[in-house]
Amino acid sequence: MASFGSIRVDRPPPRLYRTARLFRRLSTVVLVVALVFVASVVYSGAELARSSPQTGGYTAGFAANDTVSVSGSLVLSNPGFYPMNGLSFEFHVLNASGGPLGDARSAPFDLAPGATTALPLELYLPISASGPAASLLVRDQTLHVELWGNATYAYLFPISVHFEQNRSWGAPFSGFSATLGAPASVNGSVAVPVTIDFSNHAPDPEPGALDVLVLSSTGASCGGATFSFGSAPGVTPDASYSQTQTVAIAAGCSLQGGTIVATYVGPLASIPLPPEAIP
Amino acid sequence: MNVPSSRAIEAATYRVPSLGIRILAGAARFVALLIVLVGLPVVVLAYLADRGVTLPVTAPTLLLGGVLVSGLSTAGSILRPTRAYGPVSVATSAAAIGYLFAIGFQGTLRVAVPGTTGSLVVGYAGLFDLVLLVPVLALGAGLVTAIEDLRAPGERLPFEYPP
Repeated sequence: MASFGSIRVDRPPPRLYRTARLFRRLSTVVLVVALVFVASVVYSGAELARSSPQTGGYTAGFAANDTVSVSGSLVLSNPGFYPMNGLSFEFHVLNASGGPLGDARSAPFDLAPGATTALPLELYLPISASGPAASLLVRDQTLHVELWGNATYAYLFPISVHFEQNRSWGAPFSGFSATLGAPASVNGSVAVPVTIDFSNHAPDPEPGALDVLVLSSTGASCGGATFSFGSAPGVTPDASYSQTQTVAIAAGCSLQGGTIVATYVGPLASIPLPPEAIP
Repeated sequence: MNVPSSRAIEAATYRVPSLGIRILAGAARFVALLIVLVGLPVVVLAYLADRGVTLPVTAPTLLLGGVLVSGLSTAGSILRPTRAYGPVSVATSAAAIGYLFAIGFQGTLRVAVPGTTGSLVVGYAGLFDLVLLVPVLALGAGLVTAIEDLRAPGERLPFEYPP
């Protein structure tokens, strides 16, 4: 309704005019909302980028089902105004030769604005004498860890992160070797001294013992012994161990071309170490 | 004595500002738009660059696009009482849509995470979906106004310039 002095015109605004006005007003409202939103997201995003994720310390040890577990944590903080929804991580571990040792992924979760959380990362590496993780038992090495993360930030922005990191690995039976001494005749049977040497470079002690079998070239068992190291091999990290036991050899068993197979037997796992050839 | 028609009475109820006033107001609008469409984005770019975040948009692109859209919008406001207003509004909106596409409608942003070897990739297509609503709605307004001016020239003026 328009007016002029005391004259008033009661014609309502035309339909097309009202439509155009509605469009213009909506456009202005969306513009203001978008500007405020963008400014706050830019600020929040910059703060988020500055608070880089921190990797917590990690531990490694033997676990059930003949596996080595590598556990760590990723500390994440979200200092901005907006949540991170559907945050999920996946990480891969490669051994020194580039062979994949295993991977793990986290279930999606949300990180609220202003929150900090420590995301536990746990990886179980199956150990076998021939698998890529076997070298973890006897060889110190650098592991290559790759981590991917995905989330939606501030409801509208899909984000993905990628981190690579090298972590040094201390083998629990580093430099393991098993050697045979000269055979000797004892009460009519043959016995050989078996000496095993290794250092525990693992960060944690592992209780258990080593079962050592001497096999002929055909794979037949010629004899064996159990090596105990106090309460456990590697009871003291960074300690070196050398122990010799005399093993009675079965009659007719030929040691030439055979192998010595040591198996770590702990409370959670029974894991064969890489075999040692008998010259 | 002749009795004026209701249209004639209505025509006397609004006063279109003079061209000089409209140019003056348009100049103020131009400056304000430059601040919003050029100054603010450049400040944001610099703010992000200081924090190691580089957007795939350059300051000259922002300047060119911002000046073009601001200029057309200012022309539209000066031409508001005329039948050119609708088409100029449509052109302004079309330029704004083109400008948004030019600065990366389906863009992604890669950011190095400080202090690590990590990188962060951010997709901002969703933001453009939101921002694109602004010129699309304005385009609709311009089209409707152009149609209205074709069908009934001057019909909207009493409501555009109420006393």
